[in-house]
Amino acid sequence: MNITRRHLMAGSAGLAGAAAFGQQAEAQSRLSVGVVLIGPVGDFGWSHMHDQGRRRMAEVLGDRVNATTVESVAPPDFDRVVTQLVRTGHRLIFTTSFSYFAPTQRMAPQHPGVFFENATGPTTLPNMAIYNARFYEGRYIQGVIAARKSRSKTIGYVATFPVPEVISAINTVMRGAWSVDPSMKVRVVWVNAWSNPAREADAARALIDQGCDVLCSHTDGPAPLQLAEQRGIFGFGQASDMTRFAPRAHLTSSVNNWGDYYAERAKAVLDGTWRPTDTWGGLGSGMFRMAPFTNMTPEEVSEATRIRDAIAAGTLHPFEGPITRQDGTVVIPAGRRLSDDEIRAQNYFYQGIDVAMP
Amino acid sequence: MKLVMERRTETPISLMLISPLIAVALTLISAAIMFALLGKDPVTALSTYFLDPLSDSWGLQEVAVKATPLVLIAVGLAVCYRAKVWNIGAEGQFLFGAMAGGYVAIITHGSTQGPWLLPVMLLAGAMAGACFALIPAILRTRFGANEILTSLMLVYVAELLLDYLVRGPWRDPAGFNMPNSVVFEAEATLPLLMAGGRLNIGTPIMIAIVFAFMLLMGRTLKGFEIRLVGEAPRAARFAGFSETRLIITVFMISGALAGFAGVLEAAGTIKQLQPGLSPGYGFTAIIVAFLGRLNPIGCLFAGIFIAITFIGGENAQIMLRLPLDATRVLQGLLLFFVLACDSLLLYRFRLLRGAAA
Amino acid sequence: MTLFEAIILTIITASTPLLIAAIGELVVERAGVLNLGVEGMMIIGAAAGIAAAITTGSSTLGVLVAVLAGMALSLVFAALVLGLAANQVAAGLALAILGLGLSGVIGAPFVGVQRAGIGKIEIPLLSDIPFLGPLLFRQDPFVYASVALVIGVWWFLTKSRAGLVLRAVGENHAAAHALGYPVRRIRLLAIMFGGGCAGLAGSYMSLVYTPFWTSGMTGGRGWIALAIVVFASWLPFRAMVGAYLFGALTILQLHAQSAGVPLPSQFLAALPYLITILVLVLIMRARRGGAVGPASLGVPFVPDR
Repeated sequence: MNITRRHLMAGSAGLAGAAAFGQQAEAQSRLSVGVVLIGPVGDFGWSHMHDQGRRRMAEVLGDRVNATTVESVAPPDFDRVVTQLVRTGHRLIFTTSFSYFAPTQRMAPQHPGVFFENATGPTTLPNMAIYNARFYEGRYIQGVIAARKSRSKTIGYVATFPVPEVISAINTVMRGAWSVDPSMKVRVVWVNAWSNPAREADAARALIDQGCDVLCSHTDGPAPLQLAEQRGIFGFGQASDMTRFAPRAHLTSSVNNWGDYYAERAKAVLDGTWRPTDTWGGLGSGMFRMAPFTNMTPEEVSEATRIRDAIAAGTLHPFEGPITRQDGTVVIPAGRRLSDDEIRAQNYFYQGIDVAMP
Repeated sequence: MKLVMERRTETPISLMLISPLIAVALTLISAAIMFALLGKDPVTALSTYFLDPLSDSWGLQEVAVKATPLVLIAVGLAVCYRAKVWNIGAEGQFLFGAMAGGYVAIITHGSTQGPWLLPVMLLAGAMAGACFALIPAILRTRFGANEILTSLMLVYVAELLLDYLVRGPWRDPAGFNMPNSVVFEAEATLPLLMAGGRLNIGTPIMIAIVFAFMLLMGRTLKGFEIRLVGEAPRAARFAGFSETRLIITVFMISGALAGFAGVLEAAGTIKQLQPGLSPGYGFTAIIVAFLGRLNPIGCLFAGIFIAITFIGGENAQIMLRLPLDATRVLQGLLLFFVLACDSLLLYRFRLLRGAAA
Repeated sequence: MTLFEAIILTIITASTPLLIAAIGELVVERAGVLNLGVEGMMIIGAAAGIAAAITTGSSTLGVLVAVLAGMALSLVFAALVLGLAANQVAAGLALAILGLGLSGVIGAPFVGVQRAGIGKIEIPLLSDIPFLGPLLFRQDPFVYASVALVIGVWWFLTKSRAGLVLRAVGENHAAAHALGYPVRRIRLLAIMFGGGCAGLAGSYMSLVYTPFWTSGMTGGRGWIALAIVVFASWLPFRAMVGAYLFGALTILQLHAQSAGVPLPSQFLAALPYLITILVLVLIMRARRGGAVGPASLGVPFVPDR
């Protein structure tokens, strides 16, 4: 009885359910891919974008993959969801949150025939890769543009949580801004949520009321940008091209492109070439791109394009020395660069940013 | 002709047994309709929801693991609600318990631990939950402040406190600055009961507690007192039962159970402290308590059933591409039908001929 | 515009949905019914509102549909609670989950769709008065509606006969029934009013506040509205104070962060909740014996012929 039902389930999940039984990567006919989301698909933010990635992968690979999404999986339920994905024949599983890193690390050795990929995780295992996008590259460009556009010389940053990813983003925006005008300032509001549009809008209002006239947002939703449009200032979109939300206020957006990475990795499993890589892709590799520059003068556009191309080519590096903390201690001198691990661990603000470390 | 409702003087046993079954049947029918509207085959969908989670040992263990915190919290809430004390803050008490137990694991991390560690953690969690529940209790008894408001507001406070702690003082220094605490060492996690699953000692403890509370509510003076204060407060006062002491007692009981459930989750299934620790157990448990008709055994069955719907919902997402919202609608419908069928137990419907007086 | 004016305007925006939902629930509770499902009705209003607005292109239609959606959901609650005398706490929770689930299903096709928000209404001449002008005379229609609702509900409850009857039903439904008042019909109308208000508040979120749809975008405001009713001791103008207090605290903590106040952001975020508790305790102390709410609140009514 049990076996029959299990085969029924596997069959309905995809042909691959009957295939692999815990071996290494070999050429397969159809691959079942699972994507575990920490939030709802409808959040129009982080989880939504990963689901869009899944769609793109399905588009690119067509019948060769069968992609499944499980949304709003809380940490206590993670182990079970992954186990169920494995039981139903999924051989490539993307766990899209740092909250899932420790449990993915725990589960990967238990399922040696399955390939795991954790987003924003720090280390790999033989069957667990990690991936992330160098969003900070986009931040640098945003900083440069903001410095050109801002009249009050103050950038407003709608931040989520004080984790290194956000702190290094703020640092990098200012780095870019200071390259144009060393007197630029920043104000930060922590929304303490990854997705809460109304609060993001309130945060944006507070920043604008206190004198910021260019808005950056770490959340993936359009609320701060809409506010910018309403108030007649400028802003940047995040995660997707947000021109339509703010035709007059939109300068550019960092547009996530998880889909091509997912398609690549699925193809690697299908071809038997999958390796536990540490992918931290930036503009150069296409992990994300900048939306077309809008509401900018031709000179500003060409400057921004030049900088974008330099970053993509690797000739301009946002984390080059000298880097100094707020308290004056030097992190690295001129001529050196922060390593990837150092960037990932950056939990201090640069000197010149008058925001208290929460 | 008029349809009137009258209170029954007594409820036939047969009806008490049939009523939940009718509710479940109605839920299944409506769910089948909903699945069909969403474009899925109803029979496959229903079997994915309700039969798959029970189909093998691993599945059954998962149901037990999911149900354990729900039942624990619900039993405590049932005690409160019997006394008409509306503790809506079980979620906050759950988190507080997780934080306290987690703290013990964190400060002893890397140094000498022993078999004494786990009981201390569990005790700490229960006590912390009870203390946190004292706040709305005292605000009600000293100041008459409505406990619905106070306990609810404190949930947000507890969430933000957990967030602050795991991002700041309790963050794992080797954790790449991610907002997690250290992963608890083996001695700070609940031992598993059998291979091939995640069943841990939390579940037998939960069952023991269910039976303990059955005895408490059904056979002790305290249980009688709790029920009396809820159903006939004036009679209770005449009998000399102190309402103040009772409110504090039931709040502490439910807080302790919720806190205990919290540390069980932190030490059992997640093995570290994180901001997203609870998928809303404290609130789901309120539903479980009512589905279980506010008695411990009922909470056990209701908790198991709700756990099945959650797990079934995950399976439905994986195998049928049904959205999570379908699960929520199903749970809402279940609660509605159970409440509706419950009315049949309490009231009798009769058709009267002729005009009413 | 000075910073002070800007902050006040933001506070008004933040407080309005809370107030609209709270005033509706206030009427329901004064009639003796506890409807915990405000969050469900609010978010269904948000989803239905934006779905209708995007599909038809008309914001007005969107608002109307939102109100009707809130009412429709409240009817399900009413059927359980009035028709079958079910437990109100549980029925309200069921409503909240049901509403959340249905809203996700309704809103799913509209994720990421852009729409212009409903703009402010400007009253000519008056809105040019410095400071008070923009504050009082240049607001979006919902703000005016919320004030009208508060005044209307106050007048209804205290000055009208129907309101007196409603209060009587809430205080002692058995006596009201004995006097011949249609208890259940009154409660039904009250519940529908509450549902409509919640739906309206929800549509504010998705049509004005942040004009797009995302899952769960009401973010728990329905629960806060419930708390505000309690905080207000079931009095309409106090509900206004409560809504604005909470809205102000939420906005001020964001401003404090932006201004660089060196306190942990989580602590600042917790302040609105802590201060609400504190103010409630102070109110209760001042009253000495406190308001307990309508005496029949939450008690099922079963007419004995």
